[in-house]
Amino acid sequence: MSTFEAATAAGTSGGGSLTLTKATRPHKIKGKRSSLLPLVPFFAFVGYFLIYPLFTVSKDAFLDNSGHFTLANFSQAFHGVYAQGFLLSMRLSLASALVSAVIGAALASAIVRIGQQSRKVLVAIASVLANTGGVPLAFMFIASFGAQGLVTKALKFAGIDLYAGRFTLFSFMGLLLVYCFFQIPLMVLIFSPALENVRPEWREANDSLGGSKVDYFKNVSVPLLFPAFLSTTLLLFANAFSAYATARAMTAGQMPLVPLLIGNLVDGNVIANQEHLGHALAVVMIGVSLVVMSMYLVVLRLTKSRS
Amino acid sequence: MSKKLSLIAGLAGAALGASLLATVPAEAASKSVWTTANSAKAGGGLDALVKAAQKEGTLNLIATPRDWADYGDAIDAYSKAFHIKVVSDNPDGSSAQEITAIKTTKNMTKMPDVVDIGASHIAEAAGLFANYKVINWNDIPSAWKDPKGNWFGGYAGKIAIFYDTSVSPAPTKIKDLTNPAYKGMVAIAGDPTAAQQALITVFAASVANGGSAENIQPGIDFFKSLKASGNFVAVKADTSNFASGAYKIGFGWDYNASGSIAAAATIGKTVKWVYPTDAIVQGTPYVLAINKTAPHPAAARLWEEYMFSQVNGKKAKSLGAGDWKKYSGTKLMSMIIGGQNTYVLGGAHPITEPAMVSKKTIVAPPASVSVPGKLPKAVYPNVAQQTAATTILTTAWPNL
Repeated sequence: MSTFEAATAAGTSGGGSLTLTKATRPHKIKGKRSSLLPLVPFFAFVGYFLIYPLFTVSKDAFLDNSGHFTLANFSQAFHGVYAQGFLLSMRLSLASALVSAVIGAALASAIVRIGQQSRKVLVAIASVLANTGGVPLAFMFIASFGAQGLVTKALKFAGIDLYAGRFTLFSFMGLLLVYCFFQIPLMVLIFSPALENVRPEWREANDSLGGSKVDYFKNVSVPLLFPAFLSTTLLLFANAFSAYATARAMTAGQMPLVPLLIGNLVDGNVIANQEHLGHALAVVMIGVSLVVMSMYLVVLRLTKSRS
Repeated sequence: MSKKLSLIAGLAGAALGASLLATVPAEAASKSVWTTANSAKAGGGLDALVKAAQKEGTLNLIATPRDWADYGDAIDAYSKAFHIKVVSDNPDGSSAQEITAIKTTKNMTKMPDVVDIGASHIAEAAGLFANYKVINWNDIPSAWKDPKGNWFGGYAGKIAIFYDTSVSPAPTKIKDLTNPAYKGMVAIAGDPTAAQQALITVFAASVANGGSAENIQPGIDFFKSLKASGNFVAVKADTSNFASGAYKIGFGWDYNASGSIAAAATIGKTVKWVYPTDAIVQGTPYVLAINKTAPHPAAARLWEEYMFSQVNGKKAKSLGAGDWKKYSGTKLMSMIIGGQNTYVLGGAHPITEPAMVSKKTIVAPPASVSVPGKLPKAVYPNVAQQTAATTILTTAWPNL
């Protein structure tokens, strides 16, 4: 535990000096660089709330409880329930990203075609829904689609029994449904700008040259929009991968998603003295996110260089 | 929404707080004899302790919800009787958060003076606590105290079944819950590898099905069969999910019964709590301890003296506003209802219960949990047994 204190103490003073040098530097440097001055609070913020915690989490992941270097945390992270957790997290993230990307793209293409006023309203709604998460979202779904939920009851009244088969809200399919609820609006939000760049003239050109709708879709839309589609899908993956509170409220430990496992290790009332394993899991998660985000950036760059 | 972010933000937030406040000097109280006094006697007696605590004026609590084991009444009685302001931080925090708070907020006036943590976290907190033996030290069973007074068990709960009274037939034992009439109705208090209440529930299911404190497997098998039959719903058995009808039968600590009955009443539902006739399992006690670097060392020690007081006396509302000036510390302590009895009022089982029963100082528990005619012998898993069970559950529970 003393290592934790030391890390905190070292990190604290390190963070302090970081903000100091950042704050003083722009005064000394003239010319172009002084334009960085307004960004100082941003760098300070990112340094303190992202870089510094990243550093402490990564450092702790390589330590055992007595503060000695070890790789045991990582070997544990890739075995048993933790390996299972990573597979499940990735499956759920991938499924929700793909489903939401397809539905969201279709919705977005419908939305960009309607009038400016209603589009604004729909985009505003999408941005609210995309940011709905956590326990309230879980509660919304339990109250609507749970065994005793309002929608379940209404459907039953209409002759459809959601729970006749093996469906429960507290399963992979249930979580997928809930995740799509915030993933689809997010897709609409980030995919719409790409669609707005498609100029009406191109369709007119296609039409006047005798191209059919299928030709247009195959030869214009897909090549043009695929990179944007792929990059937003990756973003959706990352978004689902790190979601926590919703799943926590809905699964009572039945779905071992990695963020939940980390929560049990570092913040539970039962498991003690295993924070370092939690940190190792977090580092692997960061690794997965980094891979996905760099793929996103690569695809984004390709998109930009093409247009 | 994002755990990664909230984790990071949490860590960073704590660190930022530490750096911002690191410049605030610790209170002069750090020179007080109470910083190191390991009993009331060693520091000059209870009267002197109360005087010193009053001089400090404040007590910092953490992760102490008012509706948990009747802590609200305890806080009010302590605060009014001794005229000390109680600052309660992060009431719904976890044991891990309490320990992190002590570790990351060094030498601050805001750091917690005392903690109330799960027994499994004692080892993790090694070196953080002060040694102190309360006046009623000998009444605490030796299994549940550190020989030097580094920590001491405070109270524990037993697992009971609660249900919406609309459920028919009314369950009376754990084995009843396999009844097909309960399809989609049964829930527990979250993930048993994260919530002790849920963990002890699995122990109770095990005991009901031929298991023991040493053998959690029959409990796992029982929930496996409940899941297969569709009776078990993987939703946290809390108040809001109860309100939404997501489950109708749950398990919980008996000391949460009063709160749950009151909460259900506000939405027009009736909840009934009953001890199952096929298993009575008590969790390891929650452990109280004093922060070694407490900003209010006397108030912290007085809090523990108060929490272990067995007096059956007045509640806060029956105390006079000026009583704290009129009477000596010893007299005040003998006037107010002690912490051990306050736990009883909250439906919990105070650690000195056997001594209180024999001294006849114990108050009557609330009637919020029905006691069937004859209860089986209680089973008490210890920390080692809990840890062993948790290791098994970590893999077995997600794969029910």
